[in-house]
Amino acid sequence: MKIAARSRIKSPWLFHLNTGSCAGCDIEIVATLTPRYDVERLGCILVGSPRHADVLLVTGPVTRQMLPRFIRVYEQVPEPKVVVAVGVCAISGSPFVGSQMIEGPPDKIVPVDVYVAGCPPRPEAIVNGIVTALKKKFG
Amino acid sequence: MNTVIILLITFPLVFLLSLLFEGIDRKVHARMQKRIGPPIIQPFYDFVKLFNKERIIPMTASSRIFTTVPIIAAAASILGASIPVASLIAGSNVGGDLIIILYLLTISPIMVMIGGSSSGNPYGAVGFSRKMTMLIAYEVPMLICILSVSVNYTSLAYYDIVLTQVKIGSLLALARPSMAAAAAAFVLCMPAYTETVPFDMSEAKTEIVHGSLVEYGGPYLGLVKLAKSASNFALSFLAVSLFFYTPALLERYFSPELGGAMLLCLVTTLIFMVFTMTVPRTIFARLKIGQAFKFYWLVPLTLSIISVALSILGL
Ligand code: SF4
Repeated sequence: MKIAARSRIKSPWLFHLNTGSCAGCDIEIVATLTPRYDVERLGCILVGSPRHADVLLVTGPVTRQMLPRFIRVYEQVPEPKVVVAVGVCAISGSPFVGSQMIEGPPDKIVPVDVYVAGCPPRPEAIVNGIVTALKKKFG
Repeated sequence: MNTVIILLITFPLVFLLSLLFEGIDRKVHARMQKRIGPPIIQPFYDFVKLFNKERIIPMTASSRIFTTVPIIAAAASILGASIPVASLIAGSNVGGDLIIILYLLTISPIMVMIGGSSSGNPYGAVGFSRKMTMLIAYEVPMLICILSVSVNYTSLAYYDIVLTQVKIGSLLALARPSMAAAAAAFVLCMPAYTETVPFDMSEAKTEIVHGSLVEYGGPYLGLVKLAKSASNFALSFLAVSLFFYTPALLERYFSPELGGAMLLCLVTTLIFMVFTMTVPRTIFARLKIGQAFKFYWLVPLTLSIISVALSILGL
């Protein structure tokens, strides 16, 4: 069982879901994957299908259009999974608070493990968020 | 009886070696991009993790096919990789000749293709059609290469061809012009066979979301990945031992009985794999399916036909 837990920490595959963010956070997530920050040294790969993923990176407040899709993508990620909310939007809905189009923030809909604050957060913060989430869940 | 035991011992060996080679491949790839890269044992972590995940079978999939296909793919490619390794260890022909090895290695892409189309996902269908196109593009030159080798040495037995190189004391690729052309065509076909980057349109992540693999998750994905790395290893090993069997050059120092020849062959395989898969994967971008098809029917096919013509002429 220990080997399984260790390999889960060592090989988190990321899936990135934009639930209506301004794309600022998404660009920072892309920056995290560049050779400068090199998350592959931690075993992370960005995968294109939620079925392959372990870590769901959620950005943005959940818009009304996005709500059913968000739930569906969350359900498609096989257990055990980790959800990381990236950006202030995904924490509280920040600039969109009070809008009638907003159903979020994400933690109202699915359990969120770690919140990464910032508008947008720096790549270092995102890496730290992923590592913290894995330690918290499997460590 | 003895050969069966050797084949069974080779199974775990091939499993470990193919994952290790994949790890080294990823490390070199990262280093070429000035990154630190994942640890060399990363594929083992991935494999164990995938095996400890939930199994999800999509509602749209025909579940029987969807779940059995990865097992067949992994078994076929590990068996295909074990036959050459076991033949070299045993020092005789184990399990079958070249045609069987090549067809075992072809089973795994076909199985993944069927799995993708049985998942009911439209991207799986796109992956199916692209993989089919590529299969037609690279399979023909590759088989003609093997045909040329067999015309030259009137043998299809794998170990006989390896022995021929030891006997003439030179690499097969350097022995005759016909064999040089065959080796070149074989090497050019390898990236398409293993679907590494310039020819990975059927599994293009950013384009068709992993193609056939899109609905696979958990243990099934682990098996498909294992099948892929086993066939990478098998093809490099096959190419090295058929065309570039380096122990033949250093026969005095590496007697086949001591396992030194095997070790040297594996090291050559590693270097060969880095140059035929990792380097192109790092420096090229993905081609379009039409360009790849045209390339395969222009260059490797011509080379392999030239090679057959030369070997019929006795060169
Ligand atoms: S947190 Fe800021 S950068 Fe990120 S999605 Fe919201 S507004 Fe954009």
